[in-house]
Amino acid sequence: MVSQLTISERQYALATLLLLGLGGLAMAAMGRGDPIAVHGYIVLIFAIGLSFVVMAGYYAPEPDKTRLSRYYDDPTKVGIVLSIAWAVVGMFVGVWVAALLAWPDLTFDQAWSSFGRLRPVHTSGVIFGFGGNALIATSFHVLQRTTRARMPGQFAPWFVLLGYNLFCVVAASGYLIGVTQSKEYAEPEWYADIWLVVVWVSYFLIYLRTLARRKEPHIYVANWYYMAFILVVAVLHIVNNLAVPIAWNAAKSYSLFSGVQDAMTQWWYGHNAVAFFLTAGFLGMMYYYLPKRAGRPIFSYRLSIISFWGITFLYMWAGSHHLHYTALPQWVQTLGMTFSIVLLVPSWASAGNALATLNGAWHKVRDDATLRFMMVAAVFYGLSTFEGSFMAIRPVNALSHYTDWTVGHVHAGALGWVAMITFGSFYALVPWMWKRETMYSPKLIEVHFWLALAGTIVYVFAMWNSGIIQGLMWRTYNESGSLTYSFIDSLVAMHPYYIARAFGGLLFLLGALVAAYNVWMTIRQSRMDAIDAGEDADIPLFARDAVQAGE
Amino acid sequence: MMDVDHDTLVALSKSWGLFYLIAFSAAVVIYALWPSNRKRFTHAKMSILDNDDKPLE
Amino acid sequence: MKEFFHRKIERNAIGFVVAIVAVASIGGFIEIAPLFTIHETVEEAPDMRTYTPLELAGRNIYIREGCYACHSQMIRTLRDEVERYGPYSLAVESKYDHPMLWGSKRTGPDLARLGEKYSDAWHVAHLINPRDVVPESVMPKYGWLMRNELRIDDLGEHLVAQQAVGVPYTSEMVDNAVQDARGQAAPDTDAASAVAERYGEATHVRAFDGDPSRLTEMDALVAYLQILGKLTDKANQQAAAVEVEEQ
Repeated sequence: MVSQLTISERQYALATLLLLGLGGLAMAAMGRGDPIAVHGYIVLIFAIGLSFVVMAGYYAPEPDKTRLSRYYDDPTKVGIVLSIAWAVVGMFVGVWVAALLAWPDLTFDQAWSSFGRLRPVHTSGVIFGFGGNALIATSFHVLQRTTRARMPGQFAPWFVLLGYNLFCVVAASGYLIGVTQSKEYAEPEWYADIWLVVVWVSYFLIYLRTLARRKEPHIYVANWYYMAFILVVAVLHIVNNLAVPIAWNAAKSYSLFSGVQDAMTQWWYGHNAVAFFLTAGFLGMMYYYLPKRAGRPIFSYRLSIISFWGITFLYMWAGSHHLHYTALPQWVQTLGMTFSIVLLVPSWASAGNALATLNGAWHKVRDDATLRFMMVAAVFYGLSTFEGSFMAIRPVNALSHYTDWTVGHVHAGALGWVAMITFGSFYALVPWMWKRETMYSPKLIEVHFWLALAGTIVYVFAMWNSGIIQGLMWRTYNESGSLTYSFIDSLVAMHPYYIARAFGGLLFLLGALVAAYNVWMTIRQSRMDAIDAGEDADIPLFARDAVQAGE
Repeated sequence: MMDVDHDTLVALSKSWGLFYLIAFSAAVVIYALWPSNRKRFTHAKMSILDNDDKPLE
Repeated sequence: MKEFFHRKIERNAIGFVVAIVAVASIGGFIEIAPLFTIHETVEEAPDMRTYTPLELAGRNIYIREGCYACHSQMIRTLRDEVERYGPYSLAVESKYDHPMLWGSKRTGPDLARLGEKYSDAWHVAHLINPRDVVPESVMPKYGWLMRNELRIDDLGEHLVAQQAVGVPYTSEMVDNAVQDARGQAAPDTDAASAVAERYGEATHVRAFDGDPSRLTEMDALVAYLQILGKLTDKANQQAAAVEVEEQ
């Protein structure tokens, strides 16, 4: 892949890695036994490792000009592989923490392996590792196809992709050694947050520069969603992570806001991270890969525009439904509830649009598990947005909040919508990227589909049951007017559901492993073909894709 | 920020927030349904199905 | 005209970007801006004190171990919650909480009014192995808290950062942060009486982990757990006032 970079891009890469390595070295040296020093070493190792990769290809001949008449897909390929690797890690930890709630001693009695530290590894691993890499990889692909323009440079996409993964590694390793801000889904500390801003600005610039080169006058709607994802996540990330570090060489910081302001800011962030990371970005994916795979145009382009602005506009108001009946002023709660309900309109418009696109192609959905992944994703998107609006109603929230129902809702969205649309898109994209007719094994896609669907259903039903039972037990009164159940009674009642949930998660994890194998074998086949076709067989493994991409 | 008191801000949010919502929805619907936009939208939705996987020169 | 305008912003990617940011941020602004003037409407609690350095260190351990993932610190204004956990939480009670730890999930019970509900010894035993005390518990064991010495050399810096975000620590508190942390867990010493002087007579000064000779992470976490809901008496006063009114 390095051989596809021009000489000056290779120099840029080395200079950037040198600066990064020096940064890591400074963190390691100045960290005075603080956890930040551990992160310094991780950054340093990351920089040195990548430098070796660049150096190994440094003296390869420059790529020829014909590359400019093709799209630049190397970062997308690596992004897909990284995304699947994170999926396996994140889901494995997810199954582990789920098991810990049923069998709390399934740990090594070490600090790093306790529930509280592993849980953010699971959430960040799947949301940012799996989801984020999938968004970056697919957005590069969709951006170039829909603008009919190649990305302007070859260095920036790598900076974004690998820089983002460095952020993910720092985040996940940080939780294990006790570095966290405690803000849910925004746990990484200040230095990781600053790094992400740098990466994100580069990401945004790639988008702007490619759009500026576009050959299509109209910007296709999928890009609108990807752009809303990039822009709004930047705003959310910066505002929610404002904090004062205790020292520039220490990991710990204190958030700028406190109490009720901090709660509102956090859930404004938390809710809109769902909206713009887990919804807008993946809708962008859906609006490209679903019509493409079905071979049919999107049912209504106008509807997709209206729902885009609806989602962009309405989500921002809805965050306060996370804080019903708390010390947050009542009018803010009511506002959040109202907008959460109105939000159902654009959400269902999107889900309906996707399903209507498939209307008339149901035989394809029946025969093609890839398309079925996307179809089921749209159905779960519709279901979980309905559930979300329902749970935002104050009296419903009184029952559901703080219980497993919320966990069930999140996973209906995360497994049913986000993961399914991603796997569907990957199964469509991987053969295109590695120049194959189909995936290595269409049968294994079918196996994955049923594992994923069964896992999601088992998981969600277990959590619905446990959540509602929990909520009801907490508020049950006996005849003498006092509470019937102690807290521990409700916990005991959860035990069977926690086992069922861990089992559902395990099925989903197995599905992800099947996907990893299938993708790996597809790549391998593609490499074998390249070698059989008489390509240079004696080049290092990692450079082979580049040769093949340049054939 | 110091001179603006809480009630003013709440009142502002409650009134202008609503006007803004209505005006905005109207603008979006008009844009989406404007007859002369039809051609561009139809072109856009068909364009991704084109299988020519190369940048346009 | 409308159509012309839209076509223009869409042709120009920058205009499009501005439109997305504007549309998305106004909602957030309208919702959040009034909360920054909310101190005008929030209850006053003149008796509210800040966390001592030891309690703050304990709070940071609570954050580090991810306790907030399973325990809320926010009692809602619902009858069953008030009866189960105590008077509902007031905004003022978390005004020195950077960040807040209201939580979002109760795998374990709410902790907003945990302070002084159990003995220090109970907490220590419970944290070392929850199932020794509550057989059905699914909480992790935190044995290492007892083994780890508490890091206190940087507590002064912690307090300075807290000052920077608006918590009213005095420079005297900052200068004595390290001694105060030691003193609060070593009763009957000079340092101990200095803590009470700076943070109020009601401050708990005890060997929280049962061993006055060492300052462990257990000391800090238990000190923090024992102050939950006790920084101000406002919520109890308000609950009492409501009861009187009802009668």
